[in-house]
Amino acid sequence: MKIRFAVRAAPAAARAEAAAPGGKSEILAAARPYLIRLAPGTDPRRSGAALAVLLPGCPSPLAVELGLDGAAAADFAYGLRLRAFRPLAKYRTRPDDDAPAPAPGEVVIVTADPAAAEAAFRRHDAVLRGVFLARDLVAEPGNHLGPAELADRVRLLAELGVAVDILDPAAHGLGLLAAVGQGSARPPRLAVARWNGGPAGARPLVLVGKGLTFDAGGLSIKPAEHMEEMKGDMAGAAAVLGALTAIAARRAAVNVAGVLAIAENMPGAGALRPGDVIRSHKGPTVEVVDTDAEGRLVLADALSWAAANLSPAALIDIATLTGAVVRVLGRHHAGLYSNRDGLARRLTDIGRRQAEPLWRLPLSAACDAHLRSDVADWKNCGWGPVPDHDNAARFLQKFVPAGIAWAHLDIAGTADSPGDGDFCPKGATGFGVRLFDALAAG
Amino acid sequence: MKISFAKPHLPAEGALIVGVLEGKTLTPTARTLNELTGGGLERAMTAGRFLGKKDQTLVVLAPAGAPLARVVLVGLGKAESVDAQAAQSFGGTGLAAVLTSGDAACAIACDDFDGLKLPAAEFAANAAFGARLRSYRFDKYFTKEKKEDKPSVRKLAVLTDAGGAKAAFAPLDAVADGVFLTRTVVSEPANVIHPESLADECRKLTALGIEVEVLGEKQMKKLGMGALLGVGQGSDRESQLVVMRWTGAGNPDAAPLALVGKGVCFDSGGISIKPAAGMEDMKWDMGGAGAVIGTLAALAGRKAKANVVGIVGLVENMPSGTAQRPGDVVRSMSGQTIEVINTDAEGRLVLCDALWYAKERFKPSAMIDLATLTGAIVIALGTEYAGLFASNDRLAERIAAAGKAVDEPVWRLPLGEAYDKQLKSDIADMKNVGGREGGSITAAQFLKRFVADVPWAHIDIAGTAWSKKDTATIPKGASAFGVRLLDRLIAEHYEDKA
Repeated sequence: MKIRFAVRAAPAAARAEAAAPGGKSEILAAARPYLIRLAPGTDPRRSGAALAVLLPGCPSPLAVELGLDGAAAADFAYGLRLRAFRPLAKYRTRPDDDAPAPAPGEVVIVTADPAAAEAAFRRHDAVLRGVFLARDLVAEPGNHLGPAELADRVRLLAELGVAVDILDPAAHGLGLLAAVGQGSARPPRLAVARWNGGPAGARPLVLVGKGLTFDAGGLSIKPAEHMEEMKGDMAGAAAVLGALTAIAARRAAVNVAGVLAIAENMPGAGALRPGDVIRSHKGPTVEVVDTDAEGRLVLADALSWAAANLSPAALIDIATLTGAVVRVLGRHHAGLYSNRDGLARRLTDIGRRQAEPLWRLPLSAACDAHLRSDVADWKNCGWGPVPDHDNAARFLQKFVPAGIAWAHLDIAGTADSPGDGDFCPKGATGFGVRLFDALAAG
Repeated sequence: MKISFAKPHLPAEGALIVGVLEGKTLTPTARTLNELTGGGLERAMTAGRFLGKKDQTLVVLAPAGAPLARVVLVGLGKAESVDAQAAQSFGGTGLAAVLTSGDAACAIACDDFDGLKLPAAEFAANAAFGARLRSYRFDKYFTKEKKEDKPSVRKLAVLTDAGGAKAAFAPLDAVADGVFLTRTVVSEPANVIHPESLADECRKLTALGIEVEVLGEKQMKKLGMGALLGVGQGSDRESQLVVMRWTGAGNPDAAPLALVGKGVCFDSGGISIKPAAGMEDMKWDMGGAGAVIGTLAALAGRKAKANVVGIVGLVENMPSGTAQRPGDVVRSMSGQTIEVINTDAEGRLVLCDALWYAKERFKPSAMIDLATLTGAIVIALGTEYAGLFASNDRLAERIAAAGKAVDEPVWRLPLGEAYDKQLKSDIADMKNVGGREGGSITAAQFLKRFVADVPWAHIDIAGTAWSKKDTATIPKGASAFGVRLLDRLIAEHYEDKA
């Protein structure tokens, strides 16, 4: 869908205008030209998203005449594009009968200041690119997107001027990440992407993503039902990659690094066994009592590596980490844990503004007793009365130096939407990209 | 256990509890005793690897040179971090080490010491409060317990120089009375405490100056409380709604604070019956009502200068020929209809009518409900925090602060339109469950539909009402979670200021 901004619309095949106050959104298809009335709203981004839902079948071009100023017109276009996204269709060999009718190829948004709208939208467009990349990556099946393929997608960031390194975990002492990947024929990776748009030497914002391209659970194998959803267990890594894409595409004047812990968790002949003891990158040993609590293992090493090698100004990890967080917060908030109140508040505020809401949960010292192992320094699961998402967060905290401001986002409930959402259709949401982009912007 | 206050001295018999600061620094009475025993305490600390860390204990038996049966050293941690909670912990931890020792007399040395930030009288009063809280035991059904297993301590002497310690203890003592009442009604089995007998317990509060009214099924039917009555219709016990009014404010007509409690005296789940394993725990599904009753007792006991009304909905949720069925549609007192999808999500059905009644009749300044409402809250927050939901940020902040101050911590969880939508029913105004995801939130969202614009908070205590292990001030069992929190909240924000 092509978006243009103009002072006035040339004769168009369709028009969108505001409904009277209190009126609702409706399509008047019999009108000449085709007419859409849009319920009045105060947030242009939401209005744009609301229009997107009404677009299938609408002729092109569509002129939007809502009397928006430049910034509002850009926001409107942003919401429209976010919601008008169509999920990955490349694996269909014939058209989906149930797919919505095509949307107009061109939308002209009428505004008094098209130049300002154009400039503001250019920035949004960069973020859209990141969001759509993240959504598409989450939808990719596990056979088409394994560790090597995901690493290749990170390498593509070089085209935007991002420095990319792909590391072999075992060679760099990332014992936990190596162990999680050892049951798969496709070896694990640590991908590091650095965007240095800010002052040289300024400490970067470091984003760490969980990138399990498929999570069968390993020997602690998952139940068959819904296991296919585990192709999306790299949504954290996808969000980090999407955020780097957005930040680099808009040439942001900031230093941001992304660290992706990439592995496939499979019950292969060489797989990690429950009871195995592994030395972490940071040093402490971990008894793996549940091979399906693998996300915290790969993140622990990635966080520790990032803290040791990237001098982070702030360290934030994002992961589809626990089913328990879905029981708690449902699909409408991601879980937020942090060792700094200021960072937690900032993330919560940005999340609210970007419609990627977070809710803070406690880092509980009560977890420690349950995480003690009889044979190693820690075990990876509590099996106790303490909630698993709290245990997981507390486990991660042990691998982050206390001097570093750190936050952990558990997006198990928000990475994927079981129904149409405000800003995305059913499916992968790209949760985190807009949040991180706004955080980097400061 | 009788608690008395006395000047510091070395008792002539029994047990003595003394505090030791981190780094093995003895408090004054301990120092005197150490000199008397020729450095005996210091030697014991070294031999026992005792450092004085918070709540560390070391029992020294029959110290030479003193007539005592035992000395209990209790770690206080760092002097500057000793607050009211730490003092309670000191008293509770010390008493626990003596409780079944065989000693009948026990003294606790609450000397002022260098670096103590808390007023010495507060320190002593809170140590006594902690010891009293820890002394609770629900043992009436043990008929064959051996004497040596029973608590032996009859008297506790609190040794302090500080004037006003006894006066500072008096209100805490009333709060402890409230806590004990809650623990007892929660611990009682469901064949003993059922709706009618729990209502009788409430009636006894008239002795403290509380006005008590009990509504039976006939009256509730007249009021249109179809949601509450539906829950109780499977049981032979008559459902009750108890209204307890404490009018302590200078202006008796000032709008009260309303406390509403879930009192499902036994929750079998009804037709949506629960699994057998662990079902016995459901005798404490009236923990919210228990906490409201105990709070009222505490407030009246210490003559709180506030108007507070406590309302508890008491029912028994049983499967029977007359029981409510999944799919039934009931009409609540508010007029809103509810499709009962799961008869085991009954707490909210009881609360919704109780909340509406509280709002309509008393026009309260705020409403707070307490309930062992959802299993999901245990998945959310474990047994460390209760879940807090609120329609009003200021009320939420005050509750969180009060909880923190008395070590009954709450963690706020979100409410929102998107969660509310999960309650949509195909046949009625709402369903009584919103699905597996965000289960505690959708339960709170359900309640929110019955509070209109009254500032309201809901505390889900399903994870905290019962303690599976001993803590410094709570013996294993009913914790009475909420009584101290509400008492503190009311003391700070709802009482007339002198």
